[in-house]
Amino acid sequence: MSTSTTPVATTSTTGRARTTGPGPAAMLALEVRDEMRMIRREPAALFFSVLMPVMFYTLFVSLFGNQFPSGGSRPVGTLMLATFGTYGAIVATMMNPGISLATARENGWFEAIRVSPVPVGVHLAAKVLATVPFVAGILVAMTTASAALGVLEVSVGEWFALVAALVVGSQSFALVGLVVGALASPNAATAILNAIIMPAAVASGLWFPLESMPDWVSTVARVLPTYHLAELAATPLGGGPWMTHLVVLVAFTGLAGLAAAAAWRRADA
Amino acid sequence: MADRSDPLRVRDVQFTYPAAARPALAGVDLDVRPGECLALLGPNGAGKTTLIRTITGLRSPDAGIVRVAGGDPRQASTRSHIGVMLQSTAFPSHLTVRELVDGAAARAGRTTGDVDDVLDEVGLVDLAGRRSQALSGGQRRRLQLARALVVDPVLLVLDEPTEGLDAESRRATWDNLAARRDAGMAILLTTHLVTEAGEAADRVAVIADGRIVADASPDVLVHGLPDRTIHLNTTVSLATVRALPAVDHVTVTSTGDAVRSTLAITTRRPEGILRSLLVADPGARDLRVVGASLEDAVLAITADRDRLARRPPDDVPGPSRRSPADPSSAPTASVPAAAAPARRLTERTTA
Repeated sequence: MSTSTTPVATTSTTGRARTTGPGPAAMLALEVRDEMRMIRREPAALFFSVLMPVMFYTLFVSLFGNQFPSGGSRPVGTLMLATFGTYGAIVATMMNPGISLATARENGWFEAIRVSPVPVGVHLAAKVLATVPFVAGILVAMTTASAALGVLEVSVGEWFALVAALVVGSQSFALVGLVVGALASPNAATAILNAIIMPAAVASGLWFPLESMPDWVSTVARVLPTYHLAELAATPLGGGPWMTHLVVLVAFTGLAGLAAAAAWRRADA
Repeated sequence: MADRSDPLRVRDVQFTYPAAARPALAGVDLDVRPGECLALLGPNGAGKTTLIRTITGLRSPDAGIVRVAGGDPRQASTRSHIGVMLQSTAFPSHLTVRELVDGAAARAGRTTGDVDDVLDEVGLVDLAGRRSQALSGGQRRRLQLARALVVDPVLLVLDEPTEGLDAESRRATWDNLAARRDAGMAILLTTHLVTEAGEAADRVAVIADGRIVADASPDVLVHGLPDRTIHLNTTVSLATVRALPAVDHVTVTSTGDAVRSTLAITTRRPEGILRSLLVADPGARDLRVVGASLEDAVLAITADRDRLARRPPDDVPGPSRRSPADPSSAPTASVPAAAAPARRLTERTTA
């Protein structure tokens, strides 16, 4: 992929020299910049996708964070960085791209994008990538809260591994948001995404340990990608083998990609 | 590289919506040359929107060729040479006017130095720092125009460009577009304001049933229509006027009292009717005789087409009374009725 183009001068009606447009990487950077501006300037989006997961985390850590799991050496508050971090990451990566795509489709802005020099794929990728700083911000805020509450026991290397797992792993969930955003109205997209995220969070043990729930919930959790993302994120904190979780997440990404392509074809018909 | 000498070339473009009984585009040919403004007119459902969507790359034709500046508009690189003003005036609400115009320039490879000039041109320079959500409908329309102009396009596509603008802004918009056209920009516009289109456009293409059925200068279309309209305030009764020879159509535009009324009489031979009316009512007042408008011409063209399309195939149509075309070249039974008017009315100057 080229990051720049060879300037090619053409005659313009205004008499100024013009060049061909920016390369894909530069175009992506422009799109990400605008997407981040939009998220940053939308207080409601910031509250629901950034502040609320952090507030949930802080509340639960205040209640249970200084306990230790049986046979474990780290406080529950530290382990919750993986589970609540997963919740925060999927909220940011699913809700923001999904709702903003649904809104742009409904109000006509998406058509303006499609007649512009921006490839649709670049525009959608920018929606997803623009969530990365917010996911990182959520994890930094949760880490700060756990440190303030005295339950943080993690090395810098372990912390970076956890953040990397969540930032990269959550990107595939953005595809689900784009599927919903390509097919539903903004209000319906919000409701549908919440209807996906909330049960998945509970059933994957992101809010409460699976051990505290009925056995069938644990069975359900095994087929949910949210569960496997949380387990992958917990690996640096002393979790079990990670390969199975990675394979499940890669397979989920493939399926979500196929669904996104099908949704796009239907929306574009 | 953009071919500025060939802004738009459409050849035999066909498109049928899934499950539709008839094609939305049934073999459209169209060109716009550098420094030319073409108005695309036609009734609702004629295919205007589908054609615009095809030209701007929003829709792929089933068959045929669309080339903008020598390239395929479905390619993003080609779209950097198209300035588009769609009907929808939506923008991301939290971005400012300057950010939106600057973003359009940057994505098309234009320098941001042009942004101030364009904002000044459309009268938004004082609102550059305002977020789009705080703009009025007319300001949003001008913002759309700024985003379309700032890319210095080879082809400017305008869908209802003056919708929502006040009279002053409308005038300014047409003046801006005329200046751009004079500088060599090719412009394709659609509007329901046919009179404005006639003033702004060098050529008018009329689309009906997915085909271009007329393609000529506004003057040629209007002068080809023989109709004249007599307006007068008279005591002569409606029934009497209707009974006069050569009266095509009469409407009462206002009724002043029980005795007088204001009439609009459409005819091809106004002289005889005027003589008869003035004999019957020497006190007739507010007398005016006006020629056909471009709107009349467009209506006549599309009505003519509808009438011909309803005829059975073996019914040889004679010259249309309301047709602006030369009656000597009226379609015959051997010419498909649907295609005939287009041939009569086409005044193409392209090869």
